[in-house]
Amino acid sequence: MPKDVRLPQLGQTMEEGTFVNYLVKEGDAVKKGDVLFEVETDKATLEMESPADGIVKKILVEMGQTVPVGTPVLVLGEADETVSQSYLQSLTGGAAPAPASATAQAPSEPAAKPAMAPTAGAAAPATPAGAPAAAPQGVRVVPLPQLGQTMEEGTVVNCLVSVGDEVHKGDVLFEIETDKATLEMESPADGFVKAIVAEVGQTLPIQAPLLILGPRDVDVSSDYIAAVRGGTAGAAPAPGKAEPAAAQAAAASEAPPVEKTAPTTPGRVFATPRAKLVAAELGVDLSGVTPAEQGLRIVEADVRQAVASGKTPVTEAGYRLGQRIPMNRLQRIVGEKMLLSKQTIPCFYLNIQADMTAIVKLRERLNKGQEVKVSFNDFLIKAVALGLRHYPIMTGQLDGDAIVLAPTIDVGLAIATPSGLVAPIVKNAADKSLREISVACKGLIERARADKLSLDDLTGGCITVSNLGGFGIDSFIPIVVPGQTSILGVGRIRDVCVPSDGNILVRKMMHLNLSVDHKVANGADAAQFLDFVKKTLEHAEDLAD
Amino acid sequence: MSSQVEDMRKGPAPKVGELIEQGLITLDQAKDWLRTIYEIRFFEDRVSELLGQNIIKGASHLYAGQEAVATGAAAAIQIGDVIASTHRGHGHCGAIGNKYAADETARQTHWNRMMAELMGRQTGYCGGRGGSMHIADVQHGNLGSTGIVGGNIPNAVGAALAEKTKGTGAVVVSFFGDGATNTGAFHESMNMASVLRVPLVAIIENNLYGMSVPFSGSPVEGTGCAANIQDIAQRSAAYGVSAMIVDGQDVAAVFQAVHRAVQRVRTEGQMMMIEAKTYRWYGHSRSDPRKYRTKEEEQAWKERDPITVLRSKLTGEKLCAEDELDAIRDKAQATIDAATQFAMDSPWPDPAELAKDVYVEESYPESLIAEEKTQAARAMKATAAFEKAVATLSGATKKEITEKAKALVREQHGMKVLLMKEAIVEAQAEEMRRDPSVIIEGEDVGLYGGAYGATKGLIEEFGKSRVIDTAISEAAITGAAVGAALRGLRPIGEIMYVDFVTIAMDQLMHNGAFNRYMFGGHAKVPMVLRTEGGVGRCIAAHHSKSLEPWLVNVPGLYVVMPATPYDAKGLLKAAIRSDNPVVFIEHKATYGQVGAVPDGDYIIPLGVADIKRPGKDVTIVSYSRQVMFCLAAARELAEQHGIDAEVIDLRTLKPMDIATVAASVRKTGHLVTVAESFCMCGTGPEIVRRLIEYRFDDGRTGFDYLDAAPLNLAAADVPPPMSEPLENASIPTPDKIVAAVRAML
Repeated sequence: MPKDVRLPQLGQTMEEGTFVNYLVKEGDAVKKGDVLFEVETDKATLEMESPADGIVKKILVEMGQTVPVGTPVLVLGEADETVSQSYLQSLTGGAAPAPASATAQAPSEPAAKPAMAPTAGAAAPATPAGAPAAAPQGVRVVPLPQLGQTMEEGTVVNCLVSVGDEVHKGDVLFEIETDKATLEMESPADGFVKAIVAEVGQTLPIQAPLLILGPRDVDVSSDYIAAVRGGTAGAAPAPGKAEPAAAQAAAASEAPPVEKTAPTTPGRVFATPRAKLVAAELGVDLSGVTPAEQGLRIVEADVRQAVASGKTPVTEAGYRLGQRIPMNRLQRIVGEKMLLSKQTIPCFYLNIQADMTAIVKLRERLNKGQEVKVSFNDFLIKAVALGLRHYPIMTGQLDGDAIVLAPTIDVGLAIATPSGLVAPIVKNAADKSLREISVACKGLIERARADKLSLDDLTGGCITVSNLGGFGIDSFIPIVVPGQTSILGVGRIRDVCVPSDGNILVRKMMHLNLSVDHKVANGADAAQFLDFVKKTLEHAEDLAD
Repeated sequence: MSSQVEDMRKGPAPKVGELIEQGLITLDQAKDWLRTIYEIRFFEDRVSELLGQNIIKGASHLYAGQEAVATGAAAAIQIGDVIASTHRGHGHCGAIGNKYAADETARQTHWNRMMAELMGRQTGYCGGRGGSMHIADVQHGNLGSTGIVGGNIPNAVGAALAEKTKGTGAVVVSFFGDGATNTGAFHESMNMASVLRVPLVAIIENNLYGMSVPFSGSPVEGTGCAANIQDIAQRSAAYGVSAMIVDGQDVAAVFQAVHRAVQRVRTEGQMMMIEAKTYRWYGHSRSDPRKYRTKEEEQAWKERDPITVLRSKLTGEKLCAEDELDAIRDKAQATIDAATQFAMDSPWPDPAELAKDVYVEESYPESLIAEEKTQAARAMKATAAFEKAVATLSGATKKEITEKAKALVREQHGMKVLLMKEAIVEAQAEEMRRDPSVIIEGEDVGLYGGAYGATKGLIEEFGKSRVIDTAISEAAITGAAVGAALRGLRPIGEIMYVDFVTIAMDQLMHNGAFNRYMFGGHAKVPMVLRTEGGVGRCIAAHHSKSLEPWLVNVPGLYVVMPATPYDAKGLLKAAIRSDNPVVFIEHKATYGQVGAVPDGDYIIPLGVADIKRPGKDVTIVSYSRQVMFCLAAARELAEQHGIDAEVIDLRTLKPMDIATVAASVRKTGHLVTVAESFCMCGTGPEIVRRLIEYRFDDGRTGFDYLDAAPLNLAAADVPPPMSEPLENASIPTPDKIVAAVRAML
C-alpha cells in the first residue's frame, strides 16, 4: 500500500515551503527520520524527515517549487510495489507533476541515462521555451532561491565560483542583492560547477537558473547549457551576452542602461590600492572601470584608460555642479519606498518636547567606566517600545477590513551609511533591558556600516526612530516606512529657559515629532502614546532597569 | 710549550700576616676582604629573600659560598686590568665594584646599582636591561656576565688580545665555572689564548656541579658526571699552559695564586689557568632542590665557609679582635640594607626608552650622502665604459686589452679599475693605515691572503700582530672580535663562509649584537665580521647559503652586502669606522668582478641604498650579486620588451633604506624583490612588509601606491645543491627576473 508523504508544517507560522534540495531519489530505501528534502520556509531552511520506512516510489515536487503545507510531495511504498498512475493522479489533482517554474530541472529519471543525454539535450532547444531539457545523470540546475519573504528578483553582484570548481553544500556561490540586502547564496548540494548561466550584474526573477552542478566526470553539452539559459531568457541563447533576464520585470523600465562590460551595481570591486588612489584623485567611480582583458583586478592603467575613453562616472567626493550622478540601488529603494509612503499613508503629525535633563545625567553616570556606552537613541528605543506595549494600536497595519496588530514590538533605527540610508530593526525591544538594546544597536550600526546587515536585521518593525540631533537639527518631520505605523523624528538636546513655579530654570529640552498612519491610529491614540514616551524619557531612572 | 699543574693546596695555606710581611697587602686590605665577602654574602642572602617575595623577578644564580674566589682575584689584579664574568656573576661584580670605590659613598652607590639592576630598575648598572645574568660595569673593566655557559670566555681572549695589541700591560681575568669547561667555546678560547700568547688568567670556579650534574661524580644515587677527571686544571696540558689548583674557600690562598699568575702572565706573556675548588651554598637557581648532593657534603663545605676561614686567620693570627670583625659584618649588613632600600625606591625604566641603546646612533651629513650618490653614478658609468672598452678594443692578449681599457677609464673617468677582492683589500689596508686599532683575525687571513684573496698582501704591510691567522675556531674568532671591540680595538674577524656563522652565532648575537643594550648602553662593539656567501661555485649546502635573513633578525647588528667593487670598498671602510657591530657579507661569485673605483679615501654611508638603474615601470630591489643579475634583466626588459625597470641596490640590509624603495614604488607601482636567500621570513618579504608600512609625509603608505601584488624572487626552499644545473635552478637568474617582471606588468 503506497503512502503519500505531505509537506508538514515545520514552524508555527509556516504556510508553504519551497523545495531547495533533494536528498533522496526514486528507488532509494529510506528509514523513518531520514532527511528527504530541504525545505525553505518563511523562517529558515529546514530538513524534512521521512515519517516512515519504505522505498521512494515517486517524487511529486520540483526543485524550487513552492507548495502549501499538506501538499503530497513524495510517495513511499514496498520494494516490489508498483504505484498506479491513478493513485498519483489522485494526489496531484489530476495533472501529472508539471514543472512549477521555468526552471530546467531534471530529477534523475531512470530513463535519463548519460548515453541518452546528448539526444535529449540536442532536442531541447527545439522544444518551446520553458520545457525542461533532459539533463545528464546527476546534473542539476541551481536556481535563484527566494532569499526573503518579499524578494521577487535578485541581482547577481558577485560570483565566487568558476567553471570546474568543486563546491560543497553550503559553499557560497553568489552574492545576490535583493530589495533588502546583499546576501550570500549557498550551494544546495555538492558537485562540480559545469556552467555558470547567470552573469554578474544581471537582475533575475526568483527561480531563474544561475548555475549548473554535476558530477566530476559528466560532461554537460553546450546545447544543454543553452537550453537552460534559453529556458529563462525566452530568447535565442547567446552565451556570454545574455541580457538581463528581468526584462519583464517592472524594474527594467527604470533601470539605467547597463553597460555590458561595466556593471554599475555596487558590488565588490577588485582594484589595486594604486588604482583606487588614482581613481580617487581623478574622481573616477571604480564601478565604471573594467580590468583589461584577462585582468583579475583594476589597475592604474585601467583607470587612466577609462578616463581617456570618457567613461568615468564620478564618485561622491568628486561631485560637480551640473553632473549626472548614477543612483545606487539603495537610494533607489529608499526613493521608491518614500514615494509609496507618501502615496499610500495619510499621515498626521504630532510635536512634543521632552525634558532630557535627568536622562543626560543618568547617561553620564551609566557610561562611567563602561565599555559599551549607552546612547540617547537606546533610551529612545526603550521608551518607544514601552509606549507601544501600552498603546498596541500604534503597532497596527491595515489588512483588508481589519487592523492587525504586530505580534512583537520591533523598533527600527535609521542609520546613515556610506552607501545610503538603512533602518535595521531592534527585535522585541520592549522585553530588552537598556543595556541589551544598546548592545543590539551597536551590532546593527556596525553591520550597517560594514554593509553586512542580514535580511533578518531589516525585516519587521512597528516604528522607526530617526534622530538628526547630531546634525544640529531642532525638529523635523520624518516619513513613515511602509509596513510600519509611525516614525519618531528626534531633534537635538538644547538648553532652554523653562518657567517653573515662578522661576526660570535652564533645562535640556528635545523635540519629538511623530508621523502617524491615520488609517490605523487616530490623534488621541497617538497623542497618548507620544505623551507616554515623553514622560518615560523624563523619568529616566525607570528605563535604566 | 711547557705545561705544569701545581696544586697549591699541598703546601701550607698562606697566612694573612705573611702576605702583609711580604708587602703584598696591608692589614686594612685584609679586613676589607672580609667586608667584601660579607657584602657579597648578605647581598646574595637578600636576593634569595627578595626572589621569594617576587620583588626580584627572573633568574638569579647565587654566588654565596664562593666569595673568596672573586674577592681574592679582584684583590690580586690592578686597577686597569679587566675581568669577564659568568652567569653566577654577582660576586665578581661586587668585588670589582668595591675595588674601584674610592670612598664609602662610592661603595654604597656601587651596591645600590647592583641591587637596583637585579630589581630591574632604571638606576641599575645596566638600567634594568641586563639584570642578574648580564650585570656589567664596562667602564671599570668588568666585561659583564653572560647567560650562555662558557659564552664569555672568547670575549675575554679578545679583550686580552686588545690589551696586548694596545700594549697596556693589563691582564684579563676570565672567570668561568666547571660547567663551561665542557663547551666548545672553552676549548677554542683556551687554545687561541695560548697560541696568540695573550695576557689571560682563566679562573675556573669548580663548585662541583654544572646545573645538577656533578663534574666528577657524586655519592648520590642516580647522578652521573660531566667529565672523567677530578681536576679541571689537568686540561691545561691540552693547551700547553701552566695551571694551579687552589683552595677556593681561602681568600688568602686565592689572592696568593692569582697574584702569582697575574705576575707570570704579565712578565712571560703566556696565559695561565687557576682551578679554584669551591662550593655554592644555594642550588643552581631558586627552583633547584639540590637532590644531587648530600646534606653531609653541604655541611662539610659550610664548615669551610670563606667567612669562617678568613675570620679564623685574622683572629688566630692575632691581627683582629672578634668585636672588630663583628663591626665589619654589621657594616656590610647596613650597606646591603641601604642598597635594598635604594633599589626599592628607584624608578622603573621608562618604556618609552625601550629601544634606546640597541645601536650607537650614527648619522652621516646630508652633503656626504648627496655626494656619494653622484660618485656612485660616476662609478657605474666608468664601469660600463670599461666593459665596453674590453668588448671593443683589440689587442694581442686579454691582459693587453684590459690594460688598455683601464688606461681609457683612467683617462676619461679618472678612476681605477679593481677586482672586487682588490677593492676589499684596499679598504682594509687604508683603514689599517688610518687607525692602528684596526686588526684582522681569522682563518688563513695571513700568508694565504684569505680563502678568496680578500686579505692578500696585508700581512706583508701590517705584520702578524695585526693580521692574525687563527685556528679553525669560528666561535673564538667571533667572540675574540667582540672582546677586542669592547676593549677599544676595531677588529675585523673573517669567517670563511657565512655558513660557518652557525657555529659562531652565540658570540655574534648574544655578545656582539646584544652587549651594548644589555649593558645599558655603557658598551660599544665596533667590530666587523667579514664573510662571504651565496652559490656559484658548486660547493653544496655547507658552503653556499645566504644567511642574511638570520642576521637581520638580530637587533643590534648591521648587515652589509655589496654588489660592486666600488660599493665593497666604500661600505667596508664605513663598516670598519662604525661603532656598531657589522656583518659584512661578500658574494663568492663576485671576487673576480671588475669595477671602477675612485682614487683616494671615500666611504659609503651605511643604510643608504643606491639606484643602480633608474626606470619608471617597475622597481626591482636587490643586493649583493643578484643586483648584477637584475641589471642584466633590466637591460633585456628595456631592449626586448620595452619595460623600463628601476634597479635599487640596498647595499645595507640593516639598517634598510626603505625610503628609497618606497619613493621608487610610488613612481612605478610595481615591486619585485630579488634575493639569493631563502624566501620564508626572508629579505624579500621583509622589504615588502616595510614598504607596505612605509608612511609618506602626506600620510599615504607604500601600500597605497602598489598597482600589483609585490613579487619575491628568492632561493628555492632546498639546501643549495652541488650540481651546477641544480645550483642554477635554485636561485633567481636574469631570465627568471625578466619572466617575473613581464608577468607582473
